[in-house]
Amino acid sequence: MNPQNIVLGVIGADCHSVGNKILDAYFSEAGFHVTNLGVMVSQEEFIDAAVETDAAAILVSSLYGHGEIDCEGLRAKCIERGLDRILLYVGGNLVVGKTPYEEVEKKFLDMGFNRVFRPQVDLAEVVKMLKADIAAASRP
Amino acid sequence: MTPSALASIDIGSTYTKGALFALEAGAFRLLSRAETPTTADNLAVGFGRVREKLGPGGRGPEDFPVYLSSSARGGLKIAALGLTADLTLSIARMAAYSAGGKIVRTYSYELAADEIAGLEALQPDIILFTGGTDGGNSAVVLRNAELLGRSSTAAFILYAGNAKVRDRVLALLDGKAAAATDNVMPEVGTIQIEPAREVIRKIFLKRIVDGKGLSTVVRETGRDPWPTPLAVFELVRRIGASQPGWSDFGLVDMGGATTDFYSHTEAFTGGDSVLLRGLHEPLLKRTVEGDLGLRVSAAALWESERAYLTSRLAAAGRSIEDFDAYIHRVSAQPESRPEGGAERAYDEMMAAACVRAAALRHAGTLSRVYTPQGGFHVQRGKDLRRITRLIGTGGYLSRTENAAILLEACAPGQADADSQPLLPVSPAAYADEGYLFPLLANLAGDYPDAAARTAVGGLRVLKG
Ligand code: B12
Repeated sequence: MNPQNIVLGVIGADCHSVGNKILDAYFSEAGFHVTNLGVMVSQEEFIDAAVETDAAAILVSSLYGHGEIDCEGLRAKCIERGLDRILLYVGGNLVVGKTPYEEVEKKFLDMGFNRVFRPQVDLAEVVKMLKADIAAASRP
Repeated sequence: MTPSALASIDIGSTYTKGALFALEAGAFRLLSRAETPTTADNLAVGFGRVREKLGPGGRGPEDFPVYLSSSARGGLKIAALGLTADLTLSIARMAAYSAGGKIVRTYSYELAADEIAGLEALQPDIILFTGGTDGGNSAVVLRNAELLGRSSTAAFILYAGNAKVRDRVLALLDGKAAAATDNVMPEVGTIQIEPAREVIRKIFLKRIVDGKGLSTVVRETGRDPWPTPLAVFELVRRIGASQPGWSDFGLVDMGGATTDFYSHTEAFTGGDSVLLRGLHEPLLKRTVEGDLGLRVSAAALWESERAYLTSRLAAAGRSIEDFDAYIHRVSAQPESRPEGGAERAYDEMMAAACVRAAALRHAGTLSRVYTPQGGFHVQRGKDLRRITRLIGTGGYLSRTENAAILLEACAPGQADADSQPLLPVSPAAYADEGYLFPLLANLAGDYPDAAARTAVGGLRVLKG
């Protein structure tokens, strides 16, 4: 696992591209080598890119409300493809409507994501968490 | 000084063919042609016969220079190894094909014990070993290097994966014939196949020269031979770059064993609400289909294109049993020519099936994605819709009168509202009259524009 390498993209049939560009710039600036797959990324594409780059984390965005269906099964596929220690983060407008955030978070944690973020999240905080999580995951 | 006449000779696996040309006003004029069965035990014999027929008495470069190519010995066999099927392996295939090679097996992820055993038995000429972006995966790559290093394979191993572990890979391959070059995919989605292509080209050349009797030929002509498919690749590049009206075209080279499809057109042109997913493929692309051919591969073709062929037979009111018997006969006797109306119809259907399947495998797809704001499209692979001209070459297609065979590249009758193959729409069809492409291709190195001009100038228009 290469602690600098992360994979980024917007999952499913979602074409909201503005946040994705901001995340790319922010994490690159913070010292990560970002492989940005852009919008409308399938689970397979996330995993292929993570395998080839030996990524430490995959950062998934979902803005259009179908995050739950799109993200289901990603963790299992990662394990199947040999990414047994990869960190999975997800953020954006994860579900349609006004479901309380705690419920949304629980749903995605249960799906196997390590961390779940609201749209308003402070990215400086995310960078700190990511670095700490990667350091923890790199320890044998 | 420009010589008054030049000869070009192509040593194929069954025939050695040649032509003598005069260079006039920036194009080649055909002076004479000759053909003789290839003398597999000593290639120089057949070569000498053709040269003698072309220009009697012409013995050395002082009479007329001879350019040559060879596809004898069945071409260059490449086993491609990548990490994931859709990324590095897919790019490794592109590199192998565009270097004129033939892919005999592909592998992804860590090589399993039975795969290593298979590779040892297969004896490819080259193992194109890729995997990982630069600074990316090293665990699987190093493991595969270790496995290959310990294997008994005698193939040349070309490493074109994660550059950060190149030295360690080469150390693990110590004792093997091996070399390393730039990564075919330095970043996810970035295709960099030229360096690998160049190394493969050199290995190919060396292998050809080692062929029986060819070193004598090289000494006499004072010139290295080109691998035939690579020469054709370069000719296609020249035509696309230099000939007005030929920036978007395709070439189908169909033989007894394989069907090669070349496309020269921008892979993705975007447009409103079309998004490219997967790799952005190159402007010039070659694919080789080892199960599509009229003779040696007839049985494989019957197997892989059974549905299409069955419907063609039914539409023509012909019996499956008779067709089946014909397939058996021509696969056993690859030199056999069709006799009578039924057999000619069979060849025509087989040719159409080869063209259609080769085009469908070469082309990308466009699928519709439904969103609440309506539809938009996702493209995967290469868009061939802008292709305005299509050329057929090879023994069969260079002689055909029937545009419909080539126009099967548009796969008429294919209908699926949600996913559409990105095939040419209604290209003009041409035949490489006289089967000159391989011979002109040899001249494309030294006379690129003249070779390209002559190649398109000599085409026969096929009427639909
Ligand atoms: C612009 C926009 C569009 C544009 C997008 C243009 C483009 N090229 O991007 C267009 C018009 C195309 C569009 C279409 C649609 N949109 Co719209 N769109 C918006 C809008 C107004 C702004 C989005 C934006 O750019 N925000 C600015 C960026 C910087 O913020 P962001 O995307 O949220 O990203 C940040 C954070 O979320 C966070 N983040 C995101 N991912 C991750 C991941 C991790 C790991 C972390 C840590 C953080 C993080 O960090 C990012 C950077 O700060 C929002 C409403 C809004 N105000 O958010 C609706 C909105 C996202 N759209 C919405 C909808 C419903 C749609 C459509 C389905 C509309 C329709 N009925 O047709 C389609 C979907 C099309 C598709 N297939 O994707 C809804 C989604 C509702 C939901 N999830 O419950 C929203 C919220 C509007 C609303 N309130 O209803 N949309």
